Amino acid sequence: MEEGIFEQRTDLGKLNAAVNQIKATLGTIIVGQQDSIDLLIAGILADGHVLIEGVPGVAKTLTAKLIAKAIDAQYSRIQFTPDLMPSDVLGTSVFNPKTIDFEFKQGPIFGNIILIDEINRAPAKTQSALFEVMEERQVTIDGKNYKMQEPFIVLATQNPVEQEGTYRLPEAQLDRFLFKIEIKYPSLEEEIRIVTQQHQHKTNDQLAEVKPILSKEDIISLRNQVRGFHVEPKILEFVAKVIHETRNNKSLYLGGSPRASLAVVNAAKALAAIRGRDFVTPDDIVWVAPAVLRHRIMLTPDKEMEGVSPDDIIKQIIQKIEVPR
Amino acid sequence: MRFYLYLILFILGINAGFGAEKKAPAAKHVKAVLVVDSASAVDVRHFDQSALNAYRKKPEFQYKENTPDISWWTRFWRWFWHWLDSLFKSKAAKGLPTFWDIFWRVVKIFLLVGGVAALIFFIFKSQGINLLGIFRKKPTGAPIPYSEFFEDINAINFDEEIENAIAKGNYRFAVRLLYLKCLKHLSNSGLIDWQIDKTNNAYISELKNQQQQDAFRMLTLQFEYVWYGEFLIDQQAYKTIDSSFRDFNRQVA
Repeated sequence: MEEGIFEQRTDLGKLNAAVNQIKATLGTIIVGQQDSIDLLIAGILADGHVLIEGVPGVAKTLTAKLIAKAIDAQYSRIQFTPDLMPSDVLGTSVFNPKTIDFEFKQGPIFGNIILIDEINRAPAKTQSALFEVMEERQVTIDGKNYKMQEPFIVLATQNPVEQEGTYRLPEAQLDRFLFKIEIKYPSLEEEIRIVTQQHQHKTNDQLAEVKPILSKEDIISLRNQVRGFHVEPKILEFVAKVIHETRNNKSLYLGGSPRASLAVVNAAKALAAIRGRDFVTPDDIVWVAPAVLRHRIMLTPDKEMEGVSPDDIIKQIIQKIEVPR
Repeated sequence: MRFYLYLILFILGINAGFGAEKKAPAAKHVKAVLVVDSASAVDVRHFDQSALNAYRKKPEFQYKENTPDISWWTRFWRWFWHWLDSLFKSKAAKGLPTFWDIFWRVVKIFLLVGGVAALIFFIFKSQGINLLGIFRKKPTGAPIPYSEFFEDINAINFDEEIENAIAKGNYRFAVRLLYLKCLKHLSNSGLIDWQIDKTNNAYISELKNQQQQDAFRMLTLQFEYVWYGEFLIDQQAYKTIDSSFRDFNRQVA
């Protein structure tokens, strides 16, 4: 109906088609997890990195691999281990006897879509190696800058249950992830579908059949389009209020940073694109806020002991603020 | 056997005989005689007075300390510390303290601590410092720089405001008022529970009647395009939207 009254000012045809195709492709293999898939697509459109957290066996890595497969770009996978060194990720200078000079050998981080599996198994030293590349999209080694190619997306997975041999990610690094997607256990119906699919040997065949849907150029173009989406000033104020409240909330030891405010707005724009709009609504903000904020805020020790989750606090904060209308 | 008994008694008898105290002979008292040597000449020696005076004038032998005059401030603090010391000093040297000694000592300590706390409180209060915030792990933030104004849909005269907006040609604002009026209508009908934190989608979900839900979803879409999307509308477009809102309100009523 809106087409009858309102003239479309942005051509979202290509974007909608690509999003629908990715969802349909992933939907044939991944059972459920619609919100997680939406967030992953939003993360790609918003030029952000995504941290996927879930207990073992909930298809974290499979989801990330499928998303990576849906994009026709250079894909790298790094399995983080306790003995992994920064040079194993970034690369190192090697002496070449022919040229009698050191040559830089690029590490696996030099790619477009980087899947870091079990990111919390590497110590802080190796985690720190990701700071620069994740935020500035460049690596500085031996005083020389190496720019990453666009698009540069880090999809990392971690297991929240295991404690032994794992390291908590530094706050600075967590802040560099646009989303933290929590993958829950499937419902009973979903579990039945998973088992049935596996029983019929469908999953493996379909995994091999996944073809790239978006090229690197498509992603860059879509990102530019999404960046220009309209956000009403009152909605920007709403975002600022939410983030400001996280810094004043008694249940929180650490609130959201200005980077969090920017992340909420960018993520909401990407979600609006997925929902077929070129403008952001308060619903978009409310929907993306937990995924953007849950890893950027820190609960006070007493709230942690009470078993309160960051999502509970985010919900409470949003409930205190009037939705702009 | 009898022989051994006699032998033991005999030996004990000998020991007793040897151990008996012998009577000491009477001491011969000799009277002491003081012998005076009157023939030898005695030479009495005296300290050299001049030498003593010379020594006395030397600074090394000035043992008297010249203490400077104590100021009233120093005296006050001496008194204060002496008094404070007396509060906590044990009276064990003078014997065990009585119940009242202990009671008054506790009272004095409480008064002292309370006085100091009150003094600190008033100083911090006068400086505008929040004392409780000092002990908190996380300092309380600065006052929120934005106004917390909650719009009450029950306090708005919608018909009047919509007419004003149309008169000014502000159709965007008029659509916003139409939507708020619709929300008020739904709230008054008990179909939705109006809350400041609820989004438009939350109100759509609250409508149980599927037909109403679909119609309201469409109205919400129109409102969102106009208000959040800032899609420009003219009078004609406004009339179409206004008509759909009127239809819905009639349907709900």
